Amino acid sequence: MGELTFNLLAWFTLLSAAGVVINRNAVNAALCLLLCLTGVAGLFVVLEAYLLAFVLLLVYAGAVVALFLFIVMLLDTSGAPRSLPRRLPLIARVLAGGLVASGVLSFSARVKLPVSEAVAAAPGVGAALKPYAYQLFTTYLLPVQILGFLLLAAMLGVIVLSKKFEGLEDIK
Amino acid sequence: MTLEAAKLAAANNLWGAILPELMLAGVALLLLALEILLPRRQHAVLADLAGAGILGTLLGLCFNWDSGMLGSETFGGLLYHSTSGQLLRAFFLIAAFLTCVIARLTLARQKMPRVEFYHLLLICTAAMMLLAQTNHLLMLFVTLETLTIALYVLVSYHRTSPASLEAGLKYVLMGALSSGLLLFGITLLYGVAGNPSLAGHAARPFHYADLAAFLTANPNHFLASLGIVLVLAGVAFKIGAFPFQIWVPDVYQGAPTPVTAFLAVASKAAGFAVLLGLCGPGALFSSYAWLTTPVLTAMAAASLLFGNLAALTQHNVKRLLGLSGVSHAGFLLLGVVAAGATPMALGAIYFYLFAYLLAAFAVFGVMAHVAGPDDADQELDHYAGLAKESPFLAGVLTVGLGSLAGIPPLAGFMGKLFIFLAAFQAGARAMLAVAIVGVVVSIYYYFGWIRAAYFETWTLPADAAAGPTRPARTPVGLLAGVTLGVLALASVVIGFYPGPLGHWLAMR
Repeated sequence: MGELTFNLLAWFTLLSAAGVVINRNAVNAALCLLLCLTGVAGLFVVLEAYLLAFVLLLVYAGAVVALFLFIVMLLDTSGAPRSLPRRLPLIARVLAGGLVASGVLSFSARVKLPVSEAVAAAPGVGAALKPYAYQLFTTYLLPVQILGFLLLAAMLGVIVLSKKFEGLEDIK
Repeated sequence: MTLEAAKLAAANNLWGAILPELMLAGVALLLLALEILLPRRQHAVLADLAGAGILGTLLGLCFNWDSGMLGSETFGGLLYHSTSGQLLRAFFLIAAFLTCVIARLTLARQKMPRVEFYHLLLICTAAMMLLAQTNHLLMLFVTLETLTIALYVLVSYHRTSPASLEAGLKYVLMGALSSGLLLFGITLLYGVAGNPSLAGHAARPFHYADLAAFLTANPNHFLASLGIVLVLAGVAFKIGAFPFQIWVPDVYQGAPTPVTAFLAVASKAAGFAVLLGLCGPGALFSSYAWLTTPVLTAMAAASLLFGNLAALTQHNVKRLLGLSGVSHAGFLLLGVVAAGATPMALGAIYFYLFAYLLAAFAVFGVMAHVAGPDDADQELDHYAGLAKESPFLAGVLTVGLGSLAGIPPLAGFMGKLFIFLAAFQAGARAMLAVAIVGVVVSIYYYFGWIRAAYFETWTLPADAAAGPTRPARTPVGLLAGVTLGVLALASVVIGFYPGPLGHWLAMR
């Protein structure tokens, strides 16, 4: 049962990820990304990582993809005309594809996945939240504070790059 | 939560250990607050405040050099305080101060907000200082992202210039790719090391000591080696080593000159701080030396050859410095490779970094005087006749370039010599040959620049009616003059008397 669910979700994720790359319409690609993220969230649920699944759905599927869609619709991108690839890029693509394929093959041949052991009964949905939050504000307090500065820097960047500045002539 | 747990958390988070970083963050926030409070006419004070804050932090750090924290872990193992960490802290503070000096010159030509620039510079410096002391993969990623995001903004700071925006976009894309590689590598390491069915699995798989113990117990694990290669690839982006150098020329050219200087010196040094923490002697990946040594050796050789050969054909001085920076990364990588075999290599790397700091900032300081309002347009031809118009700038330029090229009495020569000695002791003869070829090639393009300053005269273009296309030179101010003079003098003095600094660094 678990294996079937995993396989279904994994193939769903892979196919929708391929859809993101192959689709020439940006809106369709963004919607495929949404499906792909939903598949990954499903995989997290199978792994009993409920918190990660919820965060993925809330932040990425909910907020980030919606943002993508907004911007794609604002920009009105009609796909560039399809052109046949020239010889050199074609060779490069074939080479890159071959490398990726051989990498995946060697990976699947050489990697030894651990035999799954009997795992203790998994905690219920939401039970992992409290220790998670507790760790965040005790052990990992410093990184959390640094992330505050990271967000501040990102916000300042948006302001600097987009705001209209007038009357700066009198600063020397 | 019990009281004991709260006490434990308080005992773990010793904020006093990172007082210099807190000071920088405090000054950065103060800048933003003062920008709102002060009338706009007095905003020039804020640039001075940022510089003074950095200098004050540097002084405080020097006076508390051997604080009780050295050799201990704080924040529950997130940070490890060592003398090399202190050294790199001082390095980043000096680099940030010199960047402030250059920024005063170049920002004055642009209608851009100032305060945000200094704020981001301070945040970036603080993140680098924490990065140099990190002892935990999570901390590594968080600090690296903080400094990279601040740098994304700084690179595209001249947003009215298309070159700056293009540089920013390219840096974001390449930086995101490198962060992805690094994160994937960290995830693989975490997953493997935390797997209870493997021998010697770690209780805290992010923590350097625990992870190193796991790697020693499993010296041939395929997934772990894949993770290590991916982490190294992510770090190689930051230092601009060969297969990951494609962003360097465009980003260096488009970024404002002070940011280019900061990228070239501080960001590269931050990458090497990480690399030494991962691949240095007795460091995290030391049980995988069979893997890291060949990878780093190949990267060093390729960077040395590619950087120098690509710099040969450049006419834009920022691109030239960027590509020659790739070859400097190659020299430093050679030092990292040698560090596995000989202890003196570590001192040699730090000496090289300090010599590179002095020389590179001298050259960038001169560039800031020669450049015009368009920061991306700095051609070799603009330097024609510099020696006649400003002998001081030409002299500083010569010392800086000579030191970068490794001409005997200068600090850069001693830096290269120490690296070569370390490589010789480590038995890397073939690499030595490659490095010496690199030095010979680099002399050609560095001296082409000096020749432009001394032996070429500026002639008006054929359509003289259009006026001269060369930007006017900025007169040398007091602060910039003193700073440039000190940098050039230090390059000469350390070149003649490398003993004290070299000895002191070797002691670390």
